[in-house]
Amino acid sequence: MSLSSLLLPAVLFFALGVIAKLIKSDLRFPPDLAKVLSIYLLMAIGLHGGYELAKADIMIAFQSIIWALILGFTLPIVGYLGLVATRKVNPLDAAAISAHYGSVSAGTFLTAIAYLDNLSIQYETYPLIMLAVMESPAIVVGLILAAKARHTVAARNGATNTASKNSNEQGDFKEMLRDAFTNGSVVILIGSMIIGAIAQPSGMEKLKPFIDDIFMGVLCLFLFDMGMVAARRIGDFKKVGVMLAAFGVVMPLVGGVIGVYVGASMLDFSVGGATLVGVLGASASYIAVPPAMRLAIPEANPSFYLTLSLGITFPFNVIVGIPLYHSMAQAIVA
Amino acid sequence: MVSLYSEKMLNIISNDSLEEKLVCMFKKYGVNGYTVVQARGEGSSGQVSDMSGFDANIVVKVILPESKIQVILESIERKIKKGYHLTVYITDIKVITPEKFEKTAS
Repeated sequence: MSLSSLLLPAVLFFALGVIAKLIKSDLRFPPDLAKVLSIYLLMAIGLHGGYELAKADIMIAFQSIIWALILGFTLPIVGYLGLVATRKVNPLDAAAISAHYGSVSAGTFLTAIAYLDNLSIQYETYPLIMLAVMESPAIVVGLILAAKARHTVAARNGATNTASKNSNEQGDFKEMLRDAFTNGSVVILIGSMIIGAIAQPSGMEKLKPFIDDIFMGVLCLFLFDMGMVAARRIGDFKKVGVMLAAFGVVMPLVGGVIGVYVGASMLDFSVGGATLVGVLGASASYIAVPPAMRLAIPEANPSFYLTLSLGITFPFNVIVGIPLYHSMAQAIVA
Repeated sequence: MVSLYSEKMLNIISNDSLEEKLVCMFKKYGVNGYTVVQARGEGSSGQVSDMSGFDANIVVKVILPESKIQVILESIERKIKKGYHLTVYITDIKVITPEKFEKTAS
């Protein structure tokens, strides 16, 4: 883990974004720019990955999906138990926060790809399918944990009108499930992967400037913007308290270790591939999960989960986490 | 001189992820017209809406006759009790085309 690994243009632009906010520069990107860029990034990586995956081994792809589901369902439970143990948040906040940690951040994943590319480390394309698969299960687990927490609270308060509430809740739940699996990022990523897999190679060749040549530049711009978004959240650090802030660093480490282990030992990936699975385990969602949690767990405090995922875990992963998961992968694979 | 008619305007500040839910509620009570404005700000729950679109707020504006206010407010109150962060205020306004707002959904 050397300092030079941090000198990636994308990471440096992230730092520039943070600095711009800290020195109160009047620099401002148009609203929604980060969202627009993330649509491009997901589309490009999806097309690229789909094209590669068309040549891939179905069995390994299938195993990757199974492991992605296992990670997606267990990581939020690990996070939830950890949060409840700190006794710093109520169970509903814990459910909402842990849903973020079971899901993934495409921004972190792409930064990891830039990191590996920079060091000319080969990696498998299977983690890309895992990225798509892992967006949703954590949302479902979050909903289940929240429903459980609500029942406990209701039982404690001796609520009587549970019958009418239950039927209503069930309708909501179905809707949430549909939302979880049809959310925008999943549609773009899986759709682009299918297009990349079935499109004519000659047509894909024409897309090369769009998919490959400008990709790293767009990633720089995206991280520049995200640096500013994260810096604005770092100010909320005091609001969440030391224990929660510590969770924002410890949880990605736990998820990262589990991810690297799954990638290296269970899926037999190379160092590059295991690093990427580690990043999947470590990263916390900030695009798909927050709106889902606002709808599904309105009682939870959004400034907790947004500050943790955007202000603490995302910068931590981009700057410290990725090189760290890479060294872990090296240690385990060797 | 153009005649003016009294109506009420209901304003709801909320997170943009709740837009669909609110619109659904309006339709249920026979209100078919509404206007949504993008917004950002800070409030009692400490949420700051980001410029980058990850956490944006909206203001939903609905003009409706006084007769419909109560039932919609009750529904909103139920949502607030469930935990949704909604800031609601009502203003008296004058309109020149009251027939647009008196219609009920079929």
